[in-house]
Amino acid sequence: MIGNSKANRAVNRRAVAQVAVYAVVCAGIFLLPLWLNDFMLNKVARYLVLGMLAMALSLSWGYAGILNLGQAMSFGLGSYCMAMTLKLRTVPVHTGPEGLPDFMVWNNVPALPWFWWPFHSTAVALAAGVLVPAGLAMLLGWFMFRGRVTGVYTAIITLAAMVVVNLLIIDQQRYTGGFNGITDLAQLTILGVEFDAYASTTYYLVASCLTAALFIALAFTRSKAGLILQAIRDHEERVRYFGYDVAHYKIAAMTVSAAIAGVAGMLYTVVMEFASPTFLGVQLSLSVVIWCAVGGRSSLLGAMLGAMLVAGMQGMLSESETFLETWTLVMGAMFVLVVLFLPKGLAGLVHMLADRLFDRRPRVALAPPPAVAGTGEREAA
Amino acid sequence: MTPHLELRDVSVSFNGFLAVAGLNLAVRRGELRCLIGPNGAGKTTALDLVCGKVRPVAGSILLGTKRLDRLEEHEIARAGVGRKFQVPSVFKDLSVRENLEVAYCKTTGVLRNALRFRRRAESDGLEKLASLVGLEDQLHRQAGYLSHGQTQWLEIALLLAQNSELILMDEPTAGMTVQETLKTAELFNRLKGRHTLVVVEHDMGFIKEIGDVISVMHQGRLLAEGTVREIEQHAEVRRAYLGTGGIGHA
Repeated sequence: MIGNSKANRAVNRRAVAQVAVYAVVCAGIFLLPLWLNDFMLNKVARYLVLGMLAMALSLSWGYAGILNLGQAMSFGLGSYCMAMTLKLRTVPVHTGPEGLPDFMVWNNVPALPWFWWPFHSTAVALAAGVLVPAGLAMLLGWFMFRGRVTGVYTAIITLAAMVVVNLLIIDQQRYTGGFNGITDLAQLTILGVEFDAYASTTYYLVASCLTAALFIALAFTRSKAGLILQAIRDHEERVRYFGYDVAHYKIAAMTVSAAIAGVAGMLYTVVMEFASPTFLGVQLSLSVVIWCAVGGRSSLLGAMLGAMLVAGMQGMLSESETFLETWTLVMGAMFVLVVLFLPKGLAGLVHMLADRLFDRRPRVALAPPPAVAGTGEREAA
Repeated sequence: MTPHLELRDVSVSFNGFLAVAGLNLAVRRGELRCLIGPNGAGKTTALDLVCGKVRPVAGSILLGTKRLDRLEEHEIARAGVGRKFQVPSVFKDLSVRENLEVAYCKTTGVLRNALRFRRRAESDGLEKLASLVGLEDQLHRQAGYLSHGQTQWLEIALLLAQNSELILMDEPTAGMTVQETLKTAELFNRLKGRHTLVVVEHDMGFIKEIGDVISVMHQGRLLAEGTVREIEQHAEVRRAYLGTGGIGHA
């Protein structure tokens, strides 16, 4: 049993190291404003929000095995909730205070439609930005997982659901601003603090939300429910015969993931100062999957950093003159390399190095040869 | 006395083929019942029926006084039925210890488990379980790297962690060495009394070690029931096994 307690200690050390790494990364994010100007801060804040979105997908895809291709649906809905309340705060040019939003005037809408009313209150809007995506994900999950829809069918259904919401928003231009989205927004004000997109307050707001979401998600994955989700990812059928309602667990994972994506969406509107149907578009949604794959889908931090890295690189390459025409090629090459050589993403590489550091020996060699009968003798010796 | 597990006139149809046709089976509480029969007799299907993997088209299945045939798999498991599969089914990506933690399923709700951190205290018992099946040195090893025999043991340990009243075992000794089979027999004899066991097995040596009463299935029905000696001399059983070299070689 001596070897056993040593192994236990190694596992404990790894857990502590994991929390420490998460904390260090978050601390680093908070320290960045020391070196960056306001313009760069806004850019980084945008990448942080995208990182949060990828982290949410990692929770459902990496831990529960639910490949949600419609992750941007939750993101976009959150973003629209925020945009609606900020839109109602702006003073319209044509109609004056308390008047209709400008795009409704252009579309000859006579009065503010009923579903806009609650957004006069910022608190309600903030709640809606979480609850609407979470509720929709729960409903969708209930239908899919009660009906035992799995694998690629989950991906197709979630993608289709997102496209439906996207088309609905584009089609209902009178109420949603259509293709143009909702622009010309007021600044978010909470408890007297104004969040200007290009001020460090907004950056700190994003960083705080990201840190909170990251640690909540980490706690969730390290709970017993998180373990059962991993078991479900591994062998769904088997879990049922231990008395767990698999559907409940999968619905929970998808709902928590959607709630985090909803918060990310709200922050995205604050950082970008508009909401657009592209926020719940197919392109963004599939990008999230790629970010997760590059960073490592079964690591929350990996997925988050993967998103920041890929989105950041994309931004830099597409703006630099040398790669103006070839940047998509460079990105493509990077994906291919990661998928070929690092199937667990960049986080897999880090884990491999951590194994070397903490176990001294690789995991496979950790166990001594099978000793069904020999254990007693060794203990006696 | 009402039996612990009772199947009454249970039938199952796979696209019109009756894999189980009017099966009647009653097992007392604390009994270890062996289920044997030639290939295709419907033994595994009978276990599938009890644990809810397959739904009957007719008949009823009772655990004590509770009807199982209308419940979902997880509800049947909560009612007190544990199942070991013919192909060892463990969680290959998880470590041995994590496998045991999943199997230790006192609380099954999502919310309560989301607020439940994996504590040391309850895992002490799990470590004892692991040493009972000789996996104490493998606790942190990923289950996918275990040998076939060890995987069998791990699944047996999972069932012990689950601690169901009724345990269904589908060929638990397949792929085990002679010593391992003997150790399994010893373990089963200890479980007898505290748990009700239904064991599907081909190894007659193993059955002689553990079995009190044997039920023989043939073509989806119960053909005979009795002690090892009675079964070996049963004329119809011999006929059912004819061509496969008799019961001793089955």
